[in-house]
Amino acid sequence: MRYLKTSEAAALLNVSPNTLRAWERRFGFPRPQRSPGRHRLYTHGEIAALRDALLDGLSISSAVSRAREGLGADTNALVGALNAFDQARADNAIEGALALRSLDRTVQEVLLNSLDEVARRHGTESVQWAFAARWGNSWLRRAQRLVTPGMQSSATIVLGDATRDELDPDAAYVRALELLAMRAGARVLGLSVRGVANMSEALATHRPDGVVIAGGALSDDTVARWAYAVRLATGPLPVSVYRRGPQRTRVRTTGATMLPGTPGEAARQMIELVSHPVTSITTGTSPARLAADGA
Amino acid sequence: MAIDFTGRAALRLVPSTAEEACPSQWFCGHCGAPPPNNETPAPPARVCGECGLGLLLEARGDVAPKPEDPFLIVDGSLHVCAMSASSESLLAVAETDVINRPVTELLTPADAEASGPESLAGAIMHAAGGEDEVRRLMVRPANVFGVRMPLRVGACGPPRAALIVLED
Repeated sequence: MRYLKTSEAAALLNVSPNTLRAWERRFGFPRPQRSPGRHRLYTHGEIAALRDALLDGLSISSAVSRAREGLGADTNALVGALNAFDQARADNAIEGALALRSLDRTVQEVLLNSLDEVARRHGTESVQWAFAARWGNSWLRRAQRLVTPGMQSSATIVLGDATRDELDPDAAYVRALELLAMRAGARVLGLSVRGVANMSEALATHRPDGVVIAGGALSDDTVARWAYAVRLATGPLPVSVYRRGPQRTRVRTTGATMLPGTPGEAARQMIELVSHPVTSITTGTSPARLAADGA
Repeated sequence: MAIDFTGRAALRLVPSTAEEACPSQWFCGHCGAPPPNNETPAPPARVCGECGLGLLLEARGDVAPKPEDPFLIVDGSLHVCAMSASSESLLAVAETDVINRPVTELLTPADAEASGPESLAGAIMHAAGGEDEVRRLMVRPANVFGVRMPLRVGACGPPRAALIVLED
């Protein structure tokens, strides 16, 4: 993956860095990532696609729209491969997407969007979803194994997985959150909220700075028992809750911070929260309690 | 060549049958501003230096908009490709929302009976096809009755498209 600084990207497009930033504000494209020093970093593929579209375009808007369509082709290719139950093609499609984007953006813009599209088209009871969800979760786990642990971890987080199983639409989002938090420098200990016995043994080794409860398929009692076991083992810690985008509006939380629906933003906020805890510390004797409407 | 009665051949200037060439003008597809010194921009440097939000396009001088004129650029399939800042305010839409949408969602011929080259669609397709003639029509904003707006349609580019300038 090749990245360009603002001045390099602007030179490639023959515009000023200010114009590039104005396009980002108006069109949301090209969308840079940030370097550790908070400088903008553009992916070469995105800038090249925009340059080609500008050459025979009638407006910046239409060029942006064409460049986006070109990049969206990766999602279509992945959805096609998943619908055809073709694992090799799905692997190739995601590799192709990685050539144009960072891993973080590939996961959020291509992989998760493709899974959502398969679920929308066929439903989560379908065999297409069963194949897609299994492939997506397994790809994310493979990617997790390749993350190089940072020399200095910014935070250690216990992630309570409250998803039903691999077919739960939240599962891939939780895997993605775990992966992106690890890539952002956090140490993540992922545990199913179904397991509560001997919690102190696990947490004594990891000494977490914060707790995240991700997913909403399991009952409030199960989640509350797990949160209580964590609290008994570690003492009060900042607690946050993660649900994938569309479900967030239906969630009530007590004493816990609701993380944004996109895994990348959620990972960033989660690390910030445990690095600078403010108000979301679990207090008293009651654990953080979650309640989903209608649950 | 003409021959006079003395029998000597002589050259005489005869009136040309070709149409008078109309000078062309470059303008920004967003703010309508011309490029510095009205110079023809190099192909890879067509982004407007004034606003940075539009590409420089060329049209006949009598069609090209003045800065702040409301105008749209439409392709041969009648889809909106660009919209000036002032037409965004006039039609109360954002350029990013109407790109690739049919122009008929924004403008409708005031005379619903009009057909052939007098119709809005016909005028756009002729202009986008590269026809040099400027056409004038009367339209109204879609879903708004009682408002009539005169406009002129001409060719612009590159690439070839129709320029619709809404007139006062």
